[in-house]
Amino acid sequence: MTRFQRFPTAPARLVLAWRAAALVAAALIIGLLLALSGRNVFELAVLVLKSTIGSRFGLEDLALFMTPLILTGSAVTVTSRIGLWNIGGEGQFYLGAIGAAGVGLYMPGSPIVVLPVMAVTAMLCGVAWIAVPTLARAYAGVNEIITTLLLNFVAGLLTYWLATGPWRDRVTGALASTGRIHVAIPEFWGVVHWGFPIALLVAGGLAAIMTWTSWGYEVRISGANPGAARYAGMPTRARIIAVMLLSGALAALAGMFEVAGTVHRLQGGMADNFGYLGIVVAVLARRSCLAVIPAALLMALILDAAIVLQTRQLAATVVLAITGLVLLLIAIGDELAHYRPVTPAVRLPPSAPVATPKVTT
Amino acid sequence: MRPPPVAPGTPPVLQLVGIAKYFPGVIANEDVSLDVLSGEILALLGENGAGKSTLMNVVTGIYLADAGEMIFDGYGVQFSSPQEAIKAGIGMVHQHFKLVPAFTVAENIHLGWSETPRNASPAVLEARTQELSERFGFPVDPSARVEDLSAGEQQRVEILRVLARKARLLILDEPTAVLTPSEARDLFRALRAFRAEGNAVIIISHKLDEVMEISDRVTILRGGRKIGTWDTADCAPRMLAATMVGREVVRQNLLLRSEGAAPRGTVPELSLRDVSVRDDRGVTTLSDVTLDVFGGEILGIAGVAGNGQRELTEVLTGLTPPGRGTVLLGGAPAEPGAAAFARQGVGHIPQDRLHSALAPSLSITDNMVLREYEQPPIGGHGFYHAEAALELAREIANIAEVNIPDFAMPVRNLSGGNQQRLVARREIRIARRLLVAAYPSRGLDIGAIATMHRYFADLRDQGVGIVVVSEDLEELLNLSDRIGVLCHGRLMAVLDAAEADIERIGLLMGGRTETSETKMSVAEGAILS
Ligand SMILES: Nc1ncnc2c1ncn2[C@@H]1O[C@H](COP(=O)(O)OP(=O)(O)OP(=O)(O)O)[C@@H](O)[C@H]1O
Ligand SMILES: [Mg+2]
Repeated sequence: MTRFQRFPTAPARLVLAWRAAALVAAALIIGLLLALSGRNVFELAVLVLKSTIGSRFGLEDLALFMTPLILTGSAVTVTSRIGLWNIGGEGQFYLGAIGAAGVGLYMPGSPIVVLPVMAVTAMLCGVAWIAVPTLARAYAGVNEIITTLLLNFVAGLLTYWLATGPWRDRVTGALASTGRIHVAIPEFWGVVHWGFPIALLVAGGLAAIMTWTSWGYEVRISGANPGAARYAGMPTRARIIAVMLLSGALAALAGMFEVAGTVHRLQGGMADNFGYLGIVVAVLARRSCLAVIPAALLMALILDAAIVLQTRQLAATVVLAITGLVLLLIAIGDELAHYRPVTPAVRLPPSAPVATPKVTT
Repeated sequence: MRPPPVAPGTPPVLQLVGIAKYFPGVIANEDVSLDVLSGEILALLGENGAGKSTLMNVVTGIYLADAGEMIFDGYGVQFSSPQEAIKAGIGMVHQHFKLVPAFTVAENIHLGWSETPRNASPAVLEARTQELSERFGFPVDPSARVEDLSAGEQQRVEILRVLARKARLLILDEPTAVLTPSEARDLFRALRAFRAEGNAVIIISHKLDEVMEISDRVTILRGGRKIGTWDTADCAPRMLAATMVGREVVRQNLLLRSEGAAPRGTVPELSLRDVSVRDDRGVTTLSDVTLDVFGGEILGIAGVAGNGQRELTEVLTGLTPPGRGTVLLGGAPAEPGAAAFARQGVGHIPQDRLHSALAPSLSITDNMVLREYEQPPIGGHGFYHAEAALELAREIANIAEVNIPDFAMPVRNLSGGNQQRLVARREIRIARRLLVAAYPSRGLDIGAIATMHRYFADLRDQGVGIVVVSEDLEELLNLSDRIGVLCHGRLMAVLDAAEADIERIGLLMGGRTETSETKMSVAEGAILS
């Protein structure tokens, strides 16, 4: 008798299959709804495909979206490994952007020197931004979700103040923006800068660290049961601090890439929810550092498609609803991946007499 | 014997017919049929992993049966959640408590209960709780926080919570595993009173003496199937044990050393010198303990739970640095920290495995390498080799004789006893110098206890020192070369097994020092003269 049963673990294979099904279902539902409201679904679909995966420009756009998403997604994923949530990716992104812009605006020299200094400064700024929530968490047990979240608003305002105040663009007089930074991350493929392959490498490196080092194991145990970590004598507090600071640095690096790779200046509001979307990416990636990459791709696709649809007079709220639908269906798919058909093994009861062939004479 | 409280021919309260429950690769229950009569206490026995907890989880709606029927009070029922079961009148107290630690007793009792008055003040809830407590004969302090209660008190809250919801069938999963003997007696008294009102109880236990004492009938499961049901009056502990395990359990004399056993060491492996520990609130929980543990001996620690046992094991394993005094490991001051102690060959079977020895949500593999992840072949130079980790987990599961279908499965899916077996083997592996075992036989079936005691004896014969903390004096007397007695954080005395008897230890556990007696008689003598 074969039945479906919920298993505690969901194999990656099944998760992928169900998610693919979820995406197809989402596409069908969206298509149907658009058709019912009198849209030319076919034309829209072609347009969306063409301007995302169907053309060189579309692909370049995707890569540009993916770069910060991979980093902010990784930032949330690493903290989730130790059972914490860094909701402050947005703020650390801003601080990274501020650090990078400060160096870029005021440090003369060739890009080979200035760019690494920008990256390091950006990451240090991100680390500094998450330092207070980190220490409060590690030494006083203060919930990091609230503290990291609240600092986002401070960082956003700080960016506005710099971009409209001391660092404002005095040349063109652009609103809430600094002047153009004289160095830029070189291009790697079309308009895609080297930040993209670096982000991929970072995600891969993090996955390797988490799976193949004893540090990653300690993070896993500390996250799953601090009591067991204490019992085994693991330096849990040091791990919490390291993971959170690393997380801040990752989100800040995303800010630096945006400043030096795509925007070339510090602008108010430039984080564009990348920090928050990192949370969505991390949830989609199910705590796996490597899965952050496809999750970021999916998120980038949604964002990109949304922009295309908005050019066709679809309200931004419709786009938001579509995003929600996709995520909901994926969550359902993830749950379904826990179910597998089972056929109970046949076993003799312990006391059952063993059938012996009768000997007849 | 007890007069039957109900007329013969009354239908059973609960009837199970052909119940089956399958997990991937495991038959947890198959073809289990069972009657529970009103006015009886039915004991459910079986080895670790026999499917006792699973069967009761099916009854209370935590799991859905894969086959079979359930008849309660004459009606076919199927519960899809414990809430439905309790509404119908079946309540369960689990092997691991499910109370909210930060809430008060009154709040826990009233949580998720349709009869809880709306917007009631704490005073009202506490008064209601007091009333319930008196009605059912389970004394509790309604305003106390659950996290501050002893295991026995927490259990009373759990039971009261169930009884308040008018349960007529009470299911207790290993209720006495965490109780002191006197708490267990109180529990039994209350259960008898509950039974006298025509209610029914199913009790799961590994302690056969208790089963003999409290139950009216006994049902035994093995490998997920029912072997049979007997009147307790017709049973003897020996026969129950043999039926459970499927073979005779032989009691060996563990004090006998094997040939070629390492002699008792002359230099202590671990010493405490005037060690005192204070807890977070500044209360002294361990005071001026001086103790030597030698290689090749088993040192038993007796005492009523909560008299410094936890602190003593934590100091012995490096988990808690002593507030005052020194800890010597192999004659030299010990490098502090649990990891350093483990590296130096100190193994630790802690008293609450789910909270400290295991990460319940992580895989069995992750849990089995907790002690060796830094050493080759798994670790080394900061690396972690997943294949080697799986290999080690397989090895430990093999010697622990735990059948595991999937090593990636969260460890909490294993039965309570099997978790304990794995932890014990994992710790024995690293115990080159010393093994500290707190209540090691909690939750184990008798076969497994015998096996574990044999492990301890073998380890002792290899020259390792073993500290066994237990409330079971018989266990300690069977195993130990010396017995220390804790009372109020003081080590009252360390007796040689030869001069130790239950009475003497009992007196020391109650705080009567021998020295104070002699002092007193000297003083009396002085006055007299
Ligand atoms: N959620 C689950 N997923 C997979 N297997 C499970 C699950 N729950 C229980 N099992 C398996 O079912 C079997 C029976 O477990 P159960 O907990 O009922 O044993 P038990 O008789 O209560 O043992 P113990 O005396 O050790 O508590 C075990 O082999 C266990 O590993
Ligand atoms: Mg059980």
